[in-house]
Order: sequence, then C-alpha cells, then structure tokens
Amino acid sequence: MPYLILFHRLILRPLKREPWRTLLTAIAVALGVAVVLAIEMAGNAAAGSFQSSMETLAGDADFEVTATGGVPPEALTNLALLPYPLKLEPRIEDYAVLTAQRRTVPLLGIDLLSIAPPGHTTSNLASPNSVWTGKDLGLKPGDRIELLINDRIGQYTVRGVLGERSGDAIVMDLAPANRILAKQGRLDRILVRTTPSKPPAGWQTTLQAALPPGVLVAPQGSRTRENRRMLAAFRWNLRVLSYIALVVGAFLIYNTISVSVVRRRAEIGILRALGATRGAVRLAFLGEAACLGIAGAALGLALGRIMAGSAVKLVAATVGSLYVSSTPAPVALTWDIGLLALLAGTGVAIVSALAPAWEASEVVPVEAMSRGRRDHEVRIHRGRSLAVAAGLALAAWIASRQSAVDGKPLFGYLSAVLLIAASALAIPALVDGLTRVSSTSLRRILGVEALLAARGLAASLRRTSVLVGALATAIAMMAAVGIMVGSFRQTVLLWMEDRLQADLYMRPASPAGADRHPTLSPDIADRVAALPEVAAVDRFRAYEIAYQGLPATLGAGEARVVARYGARPFLSGAAPQTVFAQLPGRDNVVVSEPFANKHQVRAGDILSLSLGGKAVRFRVLDIYYDYSNERGYIIMDRGTLLKYLPDPAPSNVAVYLRPGVPLEQGRRAVENALNGRKVLLLSNRSLREEAIAIFDRTFAITYALEAVAVFVAIMGVAGALLALVIDRRREFGLLRFLGAATSQLRRVILFEAALLGLLANIAGLILGVLLSLLLIYVINKQSFGWTIQFHWPVAVLIAALSVVYAATILAALYPARVATQLNPIEVVHED
Amino acid sequence: MPILRLENASKQYLTDGESVTALHHLSLDVSRGEFVALTGRSGCGKSTLLNLAGAMDFPTSGRVLIDGVDTRSLDDAGLTRLRRNKTGFIFQSFQLLPALSVVENVELPLMLAGVSHVRQPALESLRQVDMGEYAARMPYQLSGGQQQRVAIARALVHSPSLLLADEPTGNLDSSTGELILDLLRRIATSHNTAIVMATHSAEAATIADTVLRMRDGRLENALEPCRT
Repeated sequence: MPYLILFHRLILRPLKREPWRTLLTAIAVALGVAVVLAIEMAGNAAAGSFQSSMETLAGDADFEVTATGGVPPEALTNLALLPYPLKLEPRIEDYAVLTAQRRTVPLLGIDLLSIAPPGHTTSNLASPNSVWTGKDLGLKPGDRIELLINDRIGQYTVRGVLGERSGDAIVMDLAPANRILAKQGRLDRILVRTTPSKPPAGWQTTLQAALPPGVLVAPQGSRTRENRRMLAAFRWNLRVLSYIALVVGAFLIYNTISVSVVRRRAEIGILRALGATRGAVRLAFLGEAACLGIAGAALGLALGRIMAGSAVKLVAATVGSLYVSSTPAPVALTWDIGLLALLAGTGVAIVSALAPAWEASEVVPVEAMSRGRRDHEVRIHRGRSLAVAAGLALAAWIASRQSAVDGKPLFGYLSAVLLIAASALAIPALVDGLTRVSSTSLRRILGVEALLAARGLAASLRRTSVLVGALATAIAMMAAVGIMVGSFRQTVLLWMEDRLQADLYMRPASPAGADRHPTLSPDIADRVAALPEVAAVDRFRAYEIAYQGLPATLGAGEARVVARYGARPFLSGAAPQTVFAQLPGRDNVVVSEPFANKHQVRAGDILSLSLGGKAVRFRVLDIYYDYSNERGYIIMDRGTLLKYLPDPAPSNVAVYLRPGVPLEQGRRAVENALNGRKVLLLSNRSLREEAIAIFDRTFAITYALEAVAVFVAIMGVAGALLALVIDRRREFGLLRFLGAATSQLRRVILFEAALLGLLANIAGLILGVLLSLLLIYVINKQSFGWTIQFHWPVAVLIAALSVVYAATILAALYPARVATQLNPIEVVHED
Repeated sequence: MPILRLENASKQYLTDGESVTALHHLSLDVSRGEFVALTGRSGCGKSTLLNLAGAMDFPTSGRVLIDGVDTRSLDDAGLTRLRRNKTGFIFQSFQLLPALSVVENVELPLMLAGVSHVRQPALESLRQVDMGEYAARMPYQLSGGQQQRVAIARALVHSPSLLLADEPTGNLDSSTGELILDLLRRIATSHNTAIVMATHSAEAATIADTVLRMRDGRLENALEPCRT
C-alpha cells in the first residue's frame, strides 16, 4: 500500500499535472492499438466470410467430392451404389444477382425432392421457377423475384424461406439449376456424410476408389481451408503494416518516459538517497509506461471497433478483387481482441520504456547527471553508433537475400526491422551534423530564431533523435509503400498495354470475381465471330481448381488468336508468338508468375491436373507476367481444354475488329448480336480504367494505415515539442529578459518543428527508398510472386512529404503558444 | 533625469486567493553611473523591485519610469524595445544558453534586436570582462566566475543605461565574487551605467554607492556605504 501511495504521488500526479501531454501520448498508443485491432477484426470478418451461405447450408457432411469442370453424374451413381448407408447431397453452386436489390447472392441447386418436408407438392419443388430464399434476404413465400444468372434474366417465385443460418442464399432444385446454369449434368460438389464405422482416412480411401479418375474426395471444408491458406500471406502483410503505427507509438512512449526520467533526475537521486532501491525506481517508470499503455489500450479498443467498420469494407474489397468472393461477416469484438489490445498497448509501452527506466535506476544519488551531459554522451558516441548502424545495415542486406519461410517473407521483415534500427542509430549523427553545418547559414538567412532552433535541437540531441526517428520511421513507411504502390501501378499500366490488345471485351453481366467465372452463352461468341466487322474473337474459359492445396485458376484461350494479336510478355523473354504457337493440339501450358512462384514451377516442368475424369500431364512452356490476381493461372489452348472438358461456354470474349472499323461501329454491331442477353461490353479503355480502379481500391487500406502512422508521429511531435517548451521554459523566459519579443519565441518553436520535419523527411526518404526496394524485390515477391518494376512516383512523394511537413509545423502552433504565454519572471527564477 | 524612477510603486500578488503585498509605496531614483545595492532577507521584495525596474512587470499602483518613460504606457512591443535598448540583466545562476558558444551568448541581445553585425561588439564586450580568449568555448567548459563574466558581457553588449543584477555573486566563492563586484564597480564608472544589484551579502553591498535595506517590501533606510 505505501508503494501505491508513493506511485500515486511521484508518478501519477505529474501525469495529471500535464493532462494534454499525457492525453497526447495515450492517444498515440490508442491509435496504434486501434489500427492493429481494426485490421485484425476486419481481417477476421473478411476471411471468415468464406464460410458463407454455401458452407452454412452444407450441414454436417464429412467429405466433399469435387472435380475440375464439375463432377460427372456417374460419380453420384457410383457412390450411391456403395454398400454403405451414406448420405449423399449433390450440389450445384454458383451465383446470381437479385436485380431488385442489386445484390450478388449464392445460388444453390440441391436435390430438394430427397429432403422435402411433408406438405410440399412435387410440382412446386421441381418447377423451374421455384426458389427458396435465405432468411437474410427478407423475402416471403409468394414473392416474385428477378434473377440475373450468367447472361440471362429470369422470373422466379419464392416458395419458402430457409431456416436459421441460411444467410443470403437462394436455393432451387438440382434439375432446374442444372438447366439454367448450363452445367450439362455435372455437379459442383457432392457432400458425403459417413458413419462412424470406419476412421475418416478409411472412408476417404473407400470413396476415392469408387470414383472415376480426376474426381477427388476431401474432408468437407477443404475449400475454406484452401482459401484461408491462400489469404494467409495477404493477412500477414496487412497485419505487419498495421503494426507500424504501434511502432511509431513506441518511439513516443520512449520519448515520454525519457523526458520523465530527465526531468526527475534530481528527484530520483533524492529517493535513492532516502532508501529507494534501483528495482523500485525501475518499476516506477515501467509503471508509468504501463499506465499510459493501459489507457491507450482501453481507448484503442473502442476506437478500433469503430475503425474496423470502415476497414472491413476495404479489406473485403481487396479480398474480393484478388482472392475469393466473399461477403464480410459482421465485425466481432471478442475476448481475444480485448486481450490483444491490452497486450499490444501495455506491451509496447513497457518494452519501449525499458531503456529509460533502466537509465533512471542507474542514477547515482550523489551525482545529478544533467541532460546536457547525457546529450554530450550521445554526441561523443555517435561514431560508435554509426559503426553499429553500418553493421545492422549489412545484416539487413544479408537478411534480404534469404528465401521465404513457409511462404512468408520473415527474413524480409527482419531486414526491414534491421534497417529501421540502423537508421535510428544513424540519426543522431545526421541531426548533429546537419544542425551544426547549417546553423550559421540558417542564422544568416532566417535570423537568430533559426540559429536558436538549430542549436536547441542539437543541444537536446538525444530527444531530438528519438523524435526525428519516430517521424522518419512513419515517413519512411509512407514513402516505401508509396513507391511500392506507385511502382506496382506503373508496372500494371505497362502490363495492360501489352496484355489488353483487343478492341472490345464481353463478359456476362453477372459479376465475376477472382474465384467466380460466370459464363456467356456459346452462341453469342459464335454470332459475334461471324460479324463482318470482327476480325477475330478469343473465347476464354476459366475454371477454379485446387493445385497443391491452394486455389488457382485454370484458363483456356484461343492460342492462335493470342499469338496473332496478343503480346503477353514472358519471363524468359521469348516471343509470345513462338510460345503460343506451341499450345494448340498439345498438352502444353503456360503459367502466370504468381502461380510459378507459389508452387515453385519452372519452364519445362510437368503439371498433373485432373480434367474430365482423366489425370493429364501438362508441360509448362514458359512463365508469363501477370498482375490480374494472386491465385495464379494455368493457361492452355481452348481446343485442349475442350478435349477434356467439353463445355463450350466462354467466361469472357475478346473481340478484335477488322482494321479500319471504327470502335463505335464495331460496338453497335456486337450489341446487335447479343440478342437481348445480359452481357457487359467494355472497350479496351474502359476495361483498363476498371482494372486500375480495382487496383486503387485494393491499396486504399494501405494508404489509410500509413496515414494513421503519420498522424501518430505528428501527434508525437506536438507532444514532444510541448514537453520541450516546458523543459526549456527557463531558456525562453531568459530570452524575454534579453529582449526577445513573443513573436520571436513563437518563431523559435516553429523553426524547431520545421527543422525536425526537414531532418525527418531527409532520413525518412532515404530509409523509405531502401524499404521500398525491400518491399518490391523481397517482401512482395516472396508473398505474392509479382515482379514489380521500380518507378519513382515523384508527384505522390512530393505531395505526401509536403503534407507531412506542413502538418509537423502546424503541430508546433500550440507548443509555440504555450511558450509565448510563459511568465518569464517565474520561469527564470525557478530552480 | 534619473535613468530609473519609482514613484510610490506598490506590487501585490494573489497567492491562493490571498493578496500578498511585495512592495509598499516605494519611491526611488537611480541616476546614470550610480551603483545601488538592495539588501534584505529573502522575500523582502528585492527581486520584485528589479523586475519592475527591468520592465518585466508592472506595479499594481504607482509608476515606474525608465529613462523618463512610464512602463505602463507601453504595449508588449514597446516594452520589448525598451528592454533591448535600456536594460541589461545579470542573474545569480548566470543563465547562459548551453547550446550557444560564449560569443554567441553575448551576441544574442543584439541579434534579438535585429542588429546585423554582432561579432565585433560581442568580442569587444568579452574583452572588457577579460574573457576575449574564451569566445569560442561552450558555457560548460567555463568556471562559475567565468560564466558570470560572460553573462555580464552579454548584459553590456548593447550598452544599456541600466544594469540589473540579481544576486550576481550568490553562486560564486568569495574571491571570485569579489572580482565580479570589482568588475561591476568598474563598469558603473567607466560606462556611466546605473547598476541596481540585489544581494544578501552586506559585504557585497559595500561596493555600491548607495545601499538600500529592504524589509517586507519597504525601504528601511538609504545609507552611504562604508568603503573598505
């Protein structure tokens, strides 16, 4: 109890005496915590939604039977003939658009006859226009709805509403579903419920033995697990980005506790002389940090929940664009999240306070070390610090050369951390050198206030370095991500120049996704191909497959057309025409770079794929650059695909007009050939615009995270400048005695902020460029498998750095005001 | 005309809601070149008087005139100008800025006043206090007596008519203190600068032309010092 009283008197009271500074520090931690929590909750919500209505309606099946291009009907027969009491549920799974609500919903075809409750008439069940709707859709029996399925619109009647956890699915009987979706009798999945008479492995063997080649049995939920695995790298990277604000917050906690120690050096000496142990002193300052951490965690928890609402939309958009169709689940604030908040907030606070707390405990009662001396020590050790920084930079370079660990760029992250640590150690030398070199010139150009500011910063080298370090880290991350995204964007733009050569593109109006490939009626493509305005069409069909336990896309286009018109650049540098000429009529494929990197595939390798009931071996001819999604593509000739999966419906069609045919004329001709089907017809330009809009949306969350980190750093600057004014109040009072006007004091503080901002911008930009190289050539490459060409987004960088710089100076306005309002008589005579 | 005149000046402060009178209807004239010592116990009002004399504070009633100008009649900018031109301060704890070198500390008042060529006057001021050779040093490299000399050079660099010294020897050993007092004496005579010095030490006060003893915000008497 006495210790608690002492803690209150010596630690909590000073915190209360400076509520604004305490609040600023707590808010800095809170924002860091909030961002981490928001990303965690948003990630959970976005990733958790794979178990959408498709899965929740799957019940408690044990196994699922799947095949690329659909499970042939004989597989169901084979399973039904097995001498076991198996419960089989054949399913067709696709998507439809509820036109009235403009909402894309899962569309399930299941064998309603076998599960029909008493009272339903068979005619209703089997009627092609009967549907049953999930509870979330808010429809009632008897309602008439309009559904867009692939490129056709149809009218349907709601016969019933499904029970709890049915989500937003629409269910119809298997037979009409098969017809409407043109599945040609193939099923998307067969769910199998077994009995406990055999172990699961035994059942899997038995079931697999009964199935035709190319049809696979896997424990139910494998697809969800595959998706989760696929998303792991994305979530991991997002999580790492979310911790940046917390790291910046750590710098600020370090600064706050350091200031606290410096200010109370004499007080600590007295306490030590009165019998306080080193441990007690250490504990007191760690306790102060813990208080700030707990306050930050509590505030961050509330703030994180609010931020998660916005973050989930951004994360889900990225997941939908690049990975898998999903509807975000509700954001859930669980006990785990609460614990994470507490650990993140207090953990980061205590860890960052360790060094200053240790320093406090080392205070010798008879020796009152002044701040000047500590700063002097930092100054005389800067050579040593630079040497250590060089060592860390070397270690960072070595780490950057290492391979990924389990698909995660762990050494890449280590390299980034080492680089940040190296820069933190190099910053005192930078600050000292630049302020010394520039102070005379500054005085000449900007007057005595600039000189005082430069010298003031150099005199508080230790604290200045921490501040510059915090702001520089935030700026560096912003610059690094800015350069990476800018480079990526430019790479994608150049790639689209090569890739998108057709004049018009057609795809079903039903929304597509990375894992969703609605099809066009085959006759449309044939009609368009026959138009006199059209020189050629490329019918492209995509199927979702699982390769080595990860989702991928199997695609097929008309290789001869692509060879003639397309320019798909290959990693080997081979001419596209030469490579594509080797696709038709042979079991050859080309794969995208993300696929190759993810599965360690090289040109000349053999891929084994199960297609149409056959296990087929394909030779990889080459690897092409691709940025359309991260799942990865295996591409073959259309003729080859049709040989194994004879479904002629294309997922999209590229239309090449004859030379001299104006685009509008060609578009009108194609529109006339659509025959009332719901098809999206995009020009080359609008397709590029759409792609780049998706790209920008994908990286919106990244920018948001960077903005929070920079905001935290700027708040830190405000808080630290306020502390600096309070610490140096006697100096400011003295300046008034020596004839300084209040406006001159204000200028001193603003110049200090301007110098801090400048130093942080210089350090941040240098560090940022290095980190961007790491992001582009190591972290991104190992996480996603994309080759990005380095590019300077000059305008974006200048704009971002200017905004940060202006914000840093604005953050000094309040501390400057405090400086001008000090009573010089009081502060000069304080001791 | 006296460089400093206090006419019936009083100063009251509010401390925890209670009014405390630091100066009671005090009147005083200090002429150019005059060296005045203020003595008395802590809290008797010496520092308050110096603050009023330096235009850092205003009397609650009465008037303070510096070179004939009523400090109350000036706005903040006017007061700043007055301090830049007429007054110089010396403090017990020297108050040199640790981040600036010796010569830069001395240049400071001139620079704050917007004077462009400051190096020569600063070096000259340092030479007057025998610190010319230490111009490039940093304050922490100097002894207490040397720091106070630099502080005096700084206070003199803009040739003020009135030098206000608050316990200038309080942090120094007696022999160094004596040297500083001699220096101040010399300055008062050679520069025709009025000096008002607050001190605890009766011994230090003996160097002044006039010793004023204060008690509870009032002047007890005005004595001619005994020269030793």
